[in-house]
Amino acid sequence: MFDRHVNTQLASYLDGELPAPERQRIERHLSSCETCRIECDQVRTGLSMVHALPLASAPAAIWNAIEAATHQTHSQPAWFRYRIPALAAVLTVAIAAILYLTLGHRHQSNWDVVGLQGSTAVDSKPIRGTSTVKPGEWIETASSSSARVQIGAIGVVEVGPATRLRVTAIRPSEHRLALARGEIHAKIIAPPKLFFVDTPSATAEDLGCEYSLKTDEDGSGLLHVTLGWVSFQWKGLESLVPAGASCRTRPHTGPGVPYFDDAPEELIQALGTLAATNYAGSSLDVVLRDARVRDTLTLWHLLPRTESPDRQRIYERIAALSPVPTDVSRERALQLDPDTLARWREALAWTW
Amino acid sequence: MWRFLIVNVLTLMLAGAEGFTFVLASPVASQQFQFKSATFVFRAEGCDSTAPQITATAEGIVKGERKSVELKVASGPKPGIYAVFQNWPPEGQWLVNLKGACGNMTAGAIVPIGPKGFIRESSKILPRPATDNEIETTLRTQGGKK
Amino acid sequence: MLFDTYKDRVYSLSLYFFHGDESLAADVTQQVFLKVITNVDRFKGDAAFSTWLYRLAVNACQDAARRRKSGAIVADRARLEGFAASSSQEDDYTRAQNARCVRDAVSALPPKLRMAVLLRYFDELSYEEMAQVLHCSMGTVASRLSRGHKMLAERLKGVTGAGG
Repeated sequence: MFDRHVNTQLASYLDGELPAPERQRIERHLSSCETCRIECDQVRTGLSMVHALPLASAPAAIWNAIEAATHQTHSQPAWFRYRIPALAAVLTVAIAAILYLTLGHRHQSNWDVVGLQGSTAVDSKPIRGTSTVKPGEWIETASSSSARVQIGAIGVVEVGPATRLRVTAIRPSEHRLALARGEIHAKIIAPPKLFFVDTPSATAEDLGCEYSLKTDEDGSGLLHVTLGWVSFQWKGLESLVPAGASCRTRPHTGPGVPYFDDAPEELIQALGTLAATNYAGSSLDVVLRDARVRDTLTLWHLLPRTESPDRQRIYERIAALSPVPTDVSRERALQLDPDTLARWREALAWTW
Repeated sequence: MWRFLIVNVLTLMLAGAEGFTFVLASPVASQQFQFKSATFVFRAEGCDSTAPQITATAEGIVKGERKSVELKVASGPKPGIYAVFQNWPPEGQWLVNLKGACGNMTAGAIVPIGPKGFIRESSKILPRPATDNEIETTLRTQGGKK
Repeated sequence: MLFDTYKDRVYSLSLYFFHGDESLAADVTQQVFLKVITNVDRFKGDAAFSTWLYRLAVNACQDAARRRKSGAIVADRARLEGFAASSSQEDDYTRAQNARCVRDAVSALPPKLRMAVLLRYFDELSYEEMAQVLHCSMGTVASRLSRGHKMLAERLKGVTGAGG
């Protein structure tokens, strides 16, 4: 049985222009056809890229030229002379209502919110079914509730129970949320530096992926990435969290050190202890001892958070697990030279 | 006689070490967001003179029935880095069979797939395309582990 | 009010369609509004006013393109970059660079795909409205947008490769 490809319909699918049965057919097809999924990603990317185009300001001279053209009346009959200004007036007045009606709803300055389970409020008003949310407005779910937010053309965010989430920006070049408490699950396909989620202790910059983000009442949080990778940032401190890894974050200290979820349990616990003691102490011994090759993710992120002699020990352990590239100098790595560390991370990522 | 054999074994080993080969990784290694949903990415190393010919198939067993699906190998803006996306059904046991040719050199890889993506520890990098026997053995082993 | 409401959209559509040619974009914009003023009695109200307006805009762009007999799709890089510097409010270097690359990529699209992408983005027309403006079916609109956005993504791979 053949299921025909859907590549010519991908734009209308992503734009929400299809009726539900057709949309569902396409989703079923996409779930089993990688060719169309790749194209869907490309169309979605193209859609998001166009948002980088700024609206150009028409020069004032254009209207002057129009006026000049409409006032070239010396060779025209009198009725024509008076017809143009009259027409312009009629035009402006007569279509004013049309302009208001046809323009108002097409500005993409809000996102759709769907209550999935229980009760959801937007801007403190309970919603029924589908509603919209604008920048500055809060989305709140009750303790057994959930909702879904359509983030323009780039993806969706599932909002978990007892969650308070604010839309802070809907702009062509920036889609931004602030998670005050609770949990969200984001599935986004976008170029870098387009979608952000702020928490009290770090900002997740989406690099095109799927992840869940949880924030507690005290502002501490946990990011878990299931697809792609996320840059978790706070005041110049960055943690790169790939699929299969998690990263905790704390108020006033920002993102912690990422770790793979399948890392040895003792390593993960020791990492937690290290984070609480400003990355000093004997727990480092456990991390170094139990680290596998792919745990160089954790070790690399420990480098800038530690001092000598711990930093040297971490360097040596990484080198023992994975050969150091020839263009990574030990001295410059220990001095935390940014280019050196970036090259090293690029090489290590092939083992993560 | 022994010297002849040793020299040939060493030659083969050196050819494998310096020749055409694949290096597998999770999508994060590519740093290309177009590949973020790939099952895995890989580098083709040791093929400097010409663009390598690379093909991939997904080999699997679904409800006792043997299946094979041709895959598209995606390339991105960075030369030499490719991605494989899932185009096989979610049920059953699957592996990806990579085959590469670069002039007179060949390379291969058997990449078992698990619920969380490719299984690095069980993947095999080969200096030639995998044999049918190697593929079947890997599939049976995967099925046994389940 | 009419002019103020639509002038930037019509101008942007023309500007990006003609690869940053400000002079030509201004000419086309002027022609469009002159036609609106002088042909308003032909607006029957059987479609949204915007649909009618953009149909005039698309026709004006196509007429100008034919007169220009320009088959080469070459972005006027200097103009596009100068335009970006003067009109963009971005102080984020990365975003400004991305915008320049996107402009070039849009300029390089085949005319029919370029027009569809620009109409959808700048003028926020529905597929039905676009079908009326472009005198084609909604399926064709969908196909042009799919192909256009896909081509943009392919051309912009180098821009979007940076990350992490």
